Order: sequence, then C-alpha cells, then structure tokens
Amino acid sequence: MTALGLSKDVIGIIGILSLLVLVVVGVRVYIAAAVVGLAGLVTMLGWSAGAGMVGTIPHSKSITYTLSILPMFILIGYLAYYAGITAALFRAARAWFGWLPGGLAVGTVFANAGFAAVSGASTATAAVFSRVAIPEMLAAGYSKTMAAGTVAIGGTLAALIPPSAILVIYGIIVEESVGQLLVAGFLPGIITAVVYSLIIVVWASADPKAGPAIHGATWSERFASLPGTLPVILVVVIIFSAMSYGWATPTEAGALGAFVVFVIALLRGMRTPQLKDALLETAKLTVMIFSMIWGILIFVRFLGFTGLPADFTTWVTSLPYPPIVIMIGILLMYGVLGMFMDAIGMLLLTLPVVYPAVMALGYDSIWFGIIVVKMVEICLVTPPIGLNCFVVAAVRRDIPLATVFRGIAPFVIADAITISLFLAFPELITWLPSLMAKG
Amino acid sequence: MAGHAAEAPSSDRSALGAADRFVWRIEVFLAYVSAACIFVLMFIAVVQIVGRKLFNAPIFGYIDMVEIAMGTFAFLAISYCERLGGHVRMELLVGNLRGRLLWLFETTGVIVSLFIVGVLIYYGYEHAMRAFTAGDSTIDAEYPWWPSKLLVPLSFSVLWVRLLIMLWGYLRLLVDPGLKPVAVPLMASVEEEALREAGAVPGAEENGKA
Repeated sequence: MTALGLSKDVIGIIGILSLLVLVVVGVRVYIAAAVVGLAGLVTMLGWSAGAGMVGTIPHSKSITYTLSILPMFILIGYLAYYAGITAALFRAARAWFGWLPGGLAVGTVFANAGFAAVSGASTATAAVFSRVAIPEMLAAGYSKTMAAGTVAIGGTLAALIPPSAILVIYGIIVEESVGQLLVAGFLPGIITAVVYSLIIVVWASADPKAGPAIHGATWSERFASLPGTLPVILVVVIIFSAMSYGWATPTEAGALGAFVVFVIALLRGMRTPQLKDALLETAKLTVMIFSMIWGILIFVRFLGFTGLPADFTTWVTSLPYPPIVIMIGILLMYGVLGMFMDAIGMLLLTLPVVYPAVMALGYDSIWFGIIVVKMVEICLVTPPIGLNCFVVAAVRRDIPLATVFRGIAPFVIADAITISLFLAFPELITWLPSLMAKG
Repeated sequence: MAGHAAEAPSSDRSALGAADRFVWRIEVFLAYVSAACIFVLMFIAVVQIVGRKLFNAPIFGYIDMVEIAMGTFAFLAISYCERLGGHVRMELLVGNLRGRLLWLFETTGVIVSLFIVGVLIYYGYEHAMRAFTAGDSTIDAEYPWWPSKLLVPLSFSVLWVRLLIMLWGYLRLLVDPGLKPVAVPLMASVEEEALREAGAVPGAEENGKA
C-alpha cells in the first residue's frame, strides 16, 4: 500500500492507462512516458526520491557503449543513397532474375534485400525503388498492381536484414545481445525475400500478363553487373565477420561500414552539401531514438516498482491454454496495434510488460525479437496507415493508393506463411546466432 | 504515428517569429555539433580497429571516449528535433482535428512537456553536480563524467525555451484559431508525409537515370 492507499497493481494499471491517454491525444511518446513514469515514481516513493531517480535516467540509460551503434547504422543508410547503390543492385538483380516469370519483380525484391544490408529504413527504401524499379517494370508490361506491391513490400526487408535499427532497440529494451540479434535477422530476412519471390513467380505464372519474363541477359552481362554491388557485399562482410569472429565491437563494425560507404559516396560524387544533409538527418533521427529510449525507460522503472510485469507474467502463465495459443494471441494483438502506431513506439510501449511473460512461456528471446519485428513491419504496408504504400503512391502519381494496397495483399499472405514457418521451426531463427559467441 | 512536415524557422515578422528564429539558430548549431561528433566517432572507430589489428596499438580509453562523446548526439539535438516535429507521436486523433480543439490538445501537450522537461533539467543538473563534487570518472582513462552529464540540463534548457515559444505559438491560435500558425511545427497528413519522404531521398533522381 502506498500514500494514496492504492495497491501497487492498481497504480501500475492507472499508469498504463494514463500513458495510453496521453499518447492518443498526441503528446510525444518520450514526453508521455517520462511524465507518467515520474508521476508514478513520485506517488510510490515520494517527491525527492522519485524525481531524483528520474533525473538520473536520461544520462545513465543513454550513455552506454552498446547504444553508440545507432548513429553508425543510421549514417550508413543515409550515405548509401549517395553511393548509387540502388541502381547498381537493380541492374544486377534484373540480369540474374529477369528470365523468371515476374522476374523483374523478383529482381526488385532481391535488390531491396541488398539495399537493406546497407540501410535500416523501410519507407526511404520504398521511395528509392519506386523511382528505380517501377518504371522498368511498367515498361516491360508488368501490371501496376504487381509493380507497386513489390516495391512497397520490399522496403520492409530493411527491418530484418542487418543493420536494423529496430532490432538494436529491441535488444536494448530486453537486454539481449545486440550482436546476436543482428546476426539472427539475416536468415529470416533472406527467407522472407525467397517467399516473396515464390509468391511473385506463382502470381506471374497464373497471370502471365501481370509479370512477363524478360529474356536476353547474357552471362557476361550478368557478371559485369556484379562489381556495382560491391559496397553492399563489403558492408555485409564487415558486419558479419566482426560479429561472428569478434574482431570488432558492433559499433566499430558499424563505423567501418559507414566509412566504406562514405568513401564510395565520395568517389561517386557526393559533395559537402549532401554530406551535411546526411549528417544532420542522422543527428535528428539519433536524438529521436535516444529520447524514446530514456523516456520509456523512466516509465519502465516505474512499472518495475509496481510489480505489474511480474504479476502479468504470473497471470499469463496460469492461463489454461498452450503457449502457442497465447503466442498467436500476442502476435494478433501486435497486428492490431500496428495499424495505429509506429514500429518503434509500439515495441517500446508493449515489450516491458509482454516480454517477461513471453520468456516465462519458454520462448527464446532472440526468436521473439525477430517475430515481433516481422509483425510490426507487416503493419508498415497494411491499411489504414501503411506508410510504405503511401510513399509508392506519392512517388507514382499514376498509381492509385488502392492499387498499391491490392498489390500488397499476396505478400501479406506470404508473410503469414513465413511467420507460421518461424513458429513451427524456431531453429530457422536461432541457428545462426547460436553459432557465435555471446557478445 | 507519422512525422510532420516542417517549415523552420518561420519568416514571420512578429516578436514570436523573431524568438523562433533566435532559438532556431542555437538549435541548428547544437545539431551540427551533434552531427560532427557522429562523423568524428566514425573515424575514431576506424582508427581504433586499424590500430588494434594492424599495429597492436589500440587507442587508450577508447570506450570511455565514446561514452563521454555520446552525450552530444544523445541529447544536443533534442530541441532541433522538437522544432521540426521529428519526435514520434500518434496522430490518429490530433491529425483529424481542426481549429480550436486541435490547438487545445497541442497546448496541453506543450504544458505537460514544460513540466517534465523542467523537472529533468533540475534533477539532471543535480546529477551532474554530484558527479562534479564526487570526482566521478570513467573506468579506464578516468575522464571526468560531469561535462557529459551537464549536457542533459544544457540541451533540455534549450528545449524548455523552445517549448515556451511553442506554448506562445499555440496559445495565440487557441485564442484566435483564424491566425496563421507561427513558430509551431505543422502536422502533415500521411500523404504529405509520404511525399516529403519521397522527395527527401537524395540522389534518387540520378539513380533513376542510371
């Protein structure tokens, strides 16, 4: 019992409800979380102990070496635009996959996967490929539905394939190894890309007018297209070998990757104004993520004092359903929430309560991270918000939003299949990180 | 939770516009400092890897150095980001409001922000001062912690002034919703946001031609 005579659980629930109200009326997430956390801690501990504790959190929770990786990954993404990587990737993917039914769309998916290896931002990727890939597909006689759907869905690969900023954030909230999480995203990212490709091939075989095959690429053309993709290969090799063999910390690997892309961008004509833009945008996105981290961690500290996460865990584990049913329920909840919230905000707000319960059900924390990120990314393409689709429709004025959403539908089914696959065979996710040392 | 289209700073000739531009100059400066630190961190890490692997000579106190420097990009640009409406929020409700009701919600949000940021400035400053008097330092290189901790109240003070200007900006709209918004970040619809995202992709045009 506390000063107001309320039980701790009741205070915790009031806290969660107040946070929801503040977020819904449009208060910035970091402010809403911090103010509710402060109010809760002050209620439970008194003003000076509560406020004093809150005052230390922004610095103590932000300033940890692990988090220094964030600006490096963000910087790689911004610099990658100037390195001309997207067009080169698309050329290579077209030469290698064009002969398949729907080959250009398959190529777009793999070019997206390649670009995801140097970028963590989904919407920006969709914007670039709307310009690079859609005109080519339309010129080759592809339907607008397939062309637009492929580009909108392709962007979501960035959240899984390392470097992924959102996986780093997951790692920080749940205190899981960031290195292992990043490596863990690779295989599911590739599987997702392969499943998307299969769907495209099936779709184009059933409806040849939607995505005709392109013939005539010679082997010499194919090999000539490879050097342009070198920056991507370099970044992948740097990050993977650093994580697997431990010759550099994740931050150092990120910094080296950024440096490589920086040099290539310089060689391809990036000048001071563009560099300044890339750096300022990086600074802005970085501070935005840091603010969310400390803000939410103030709230999490308060929740910890209420004992609510522990009680929720006890409740969930005592439910008379098998864990898989509860897990599917949790995933559906994310599906619904994702229609209204952005990915990072949603993870930060839900994980402090949901994560301990999931662990108590016996699931692997890295596995759950990948699954949750996969769920929230689906929300980036589904109505009503589906920002990626809006981006495609904004770049291509001639393609109505409804067409883009129709183009997305087969891929959402593909994602449901992929997630079931991960539920049935968790090794698909846990195998790769299990090979490396904890770090 | 889309972001905002931002027009900063305002070109309005009123005192409010002038205050907006004045603080904006400070914000841009701090954002540049933060950007520069990110850029330098990239080079230092490369030097660190090369030094350690090739010459077996790692930079002494490298991790300490990174941690001290992190205070810049973790906090300094917070107000810059606020002015541009860059901090995440949910716009499903407020995005559909118009007129006085919208300004009422915005004003309330700013007042809540002023309160919590004020508390964080005061106790963040105390936290830094404790580190100063206790001579708190990093483990390896024993760099003092207090300058880094002082960045919190410093950055948040700029944010507090920015919020005060925003409060002024929202209050006048609350009183007379017919006025032109000045010195406040403006919300964009998802479509506008998408368009901005699409247009903001640098180098996309050249890539498209290639």
